Amino acid sequence: MQALDIRPCRLDAKTQALRAEVRAFLAEELKHYSPAERAKGLVGLVPEFTRKLGERGWLGMTWPQRYGGHERSALERYVVLEELLAAGAPVGAHWVAERQSGPLLIKFSPEVLAPQIVPGITRGETLLAIGMSEPDVGSDLAAVRTRAEKTEGGWIVNGSKVWTSGAHLAHYMITLLRTGAKEEGNRRAGLSQLLIDLKAPGVTVRPIYNMLGEHDFNEVFLENVFVPDDFVIGQLGNGWLQVTAELALERSGPERYLSSTQLYLAMLDEADPQDSRHAVSLGRLAARYAALRQMSLGVAGMLARGENPAVPATVVKDQGALLEQAIPEVAHDLFGDQREPGSDLDQVMRFLTQSAPSFSLRGGTREILRGIIAGGLGLR
Amino acid sequence: MNTAMNLQGADDGTPSELQTMIADSVERLFAKQVTRQLLERFDAGHRADSLWQMVVDNGLPGALVAQDAGGSGASWLDASPVLHAIGYWQAPLPLAETMVGAALLAQAGMEVPEGPITLIQAGRHGDLRLDKEGQYLEGRAINVPWARSCRWAVVADGARLALVDLRQPDITLAAGSNFANEERDTLVFTNASSQAIGQLQLPDLHEPVWHLGALVRACTLVGALEAVVDKAVLYANERVQFGKPIGKQQVLQQYLAQMAGATGAARMAVQVALRSASDLFLGVAGSSNTLAFDIAVAKVCAGEAATLAASVAHQVHGAIGFTHEHTLHFATRRLWSWRDEFGSDAHWAKVLGQAAIAAGSEGFWIGLTDRSL
Repeated sequence: MQALDIRPCRLDAKTQALRAEVRAFLAEELKHYSPAERAKGLVGLVPEFTRKLGERGWLGMTWPQRYGGHERSALERYVVLEELLAAGAPVGAHWVAERQSGPLLIKFSPEVLAPQIVPGITRGETLLAIGMSEPDVGSDLAAVRTRAEKTEGGWIVNGSKVWTSGAHLAHYMITLLRTGAKEEGNRRAGLSQLLIDLKAPGVTVRPIYNMLGEHDFNEVFLENVFVPDDFVIGQLGNGWLQVTAELALERSGPERYLSSTQLYLAMLDEADPQDSRHAVSLGRLAARYAALRQMSLGVAGMLARGENPAVPATVVKDQGALLEQAIPEVAHDLFGDQREPGSDLDQVMRFLTQSAPSFSLRGGTREILRGIIAGGLGLR
Repeated sequence: MNTAMNLQGADDGTPSELQTMIADSVERLFAKQVTRQLLERFDAGHRADSLWQMVVDNGLPGALVAQDAGGSGASWLDASPVLHAIGYWQAPLPLAETMVGAALLAQAGMEVPEGPITLIQAGRHGDLRLDKEGQYLEGRAINVPWARSCRWAVVADGARLALVDLRQPDITLAAGSNFANEERDTLVFTNASSQAIGQLQLPDLHEPVWHLGALVRACTLVGALEAVVDKAVLYANERVQFGKPIGKQQVLQQYLAQMAGATGAARMAVQVALRSASDLFLGVAGSSNTLAFDIAVAKVCAGEAATLAASVAHQVHGAIGFTHEHTLHFATRRLWSWRDEFGSDAHWAKVLGQAAIAAGSEGFWIGLTDRSL
């Protein structure tokens, strides 16, 4: 159990004023958003809203000033994130860039790419996508086949990426690909990360409509795309380690348990406090919200202290997805045949019931996550 | 990554020196003394009297009592390894109850008697009431933990606390037990008298015994949960079937990971509640309105995790885990018992759910972040 241990983390008083400030901002900005619009959250792509957050100084909050960051604490950033998500703000345009691409560039290309790209992220103007998975690759990232061949002054890239969220809006894509061969007994060798300009010749972005008929993710085709040497992120051949470091940031944030919140809130407004079924079911969910919030916050504290909470972060995502997917089922149980057609509850339920399958797929499938947790327990 | 440039995160979980010391000594004691033989003898009806004496010699019953009142002066967090170890080793003693009873008596400025103490919240698990002066008790209390083994009971009614000698003719006892053969007795009070009365100075914590009882059961549940996770992982790595350890089967890895995740959630909820309890007893402003919420969360999460973990642990162990010879049942029978006691997860979920519904979409998130639902 040691590897899974998360110590509680307490928010200091400094964050209270910030929380109030964010709440006031959101109350104003989102006042015309219906619950159904708020339910989109992470898949709500509104570049204009992202720019407003940039103006407020709420993007790249922890990053150094030389990259346009604000050098605030990780816990202040955490408070902003959880307030945005709980309110259902449309944060999809900048989410991955702010969460993992900015930190990646600052760490692995501090002199070349970070000064060029990161200030635009903090202003909410530069949007990034992440090209990891590929057709026929799925969760097995070491099997990627997109490759870069050396050429004068750079690389020629060929291949394709799939499930790339926001590529149709993004300016750049952080791309995991092969710059060298696999080694005997090490399939993870020869992988590197390149930054690809999505406006470059040879790049084609094709939408993939999800089962709700909405456009969030894409397929990205790369045909003889030239990438300059400067756009190599970190070390050639170090791609696997760089990607796994990113994933710890990807798995424990409040977006991993808050995705169905608008449906939970809509149920609270419809529920009858005298009805024990309503109270017990909604109370069980409230307890899980409370525990997951503390777990997610605890991992944020571990990240802030420079620890490596890869396994605890994975636990948060696995448990968080269980909560997110339980909520539409509770809605079905309590309000399945008794809700007003077209009501807020009805609309939010419609959206989240159909979105829920993705919650245990994106950012690592449930099965992959549990394999990692099992490793942390000392199995295998 | 974000971390490289970032300052520091407040760490609320580093154990104090006292906590580490208590953890070391209780682990050493229970690891050695709470053997299979002891638990088998307990199941056969023999009280663990010599273990109780060792616990007394180590000063554990008074862990939560202030030093000037003769205790160790440990905070709830400091003393929590004792509660955890009771669950982890399944120590069959009225120790958690005595710790809470003594802490409440000391908090009310009353004298703490020698010997084990049990706990009763008036109006819960029965209809026991204190009269207006606090001198006489009337009514029935069921599922009173370890009543046969305890000379004393601490009865809370509102903010009033009474110390009652259970060996008086006006109290009759009918023996009962939980699924783990731990004493859970029914007491009938007929104009019985209290030996001392006092007032608790814990504003806003209504039904203190009910809440703190739920907290200690959540703590011991987490200890027992960690024991069954450890047992299941060990067994899965050792047991070979079809030419490889069963722990290599992905399906078992999935079960065990889910069980460990639920245990992690319960553990976190309990840690947070223990911090609140520490703050409340130390008189830190604002702590009482988070404690009731934190305890409800902890008991729900621990109870739900117990349900899952007992099921997974037995499935992983197969037939051997269903034998009397194997030690798994010492833990799982306690999981099934403790999840019911001092309010089941459904009970506390209802409390939380009613508060959440009252808060509505406007108030829920505020209540969650303030931990004041």
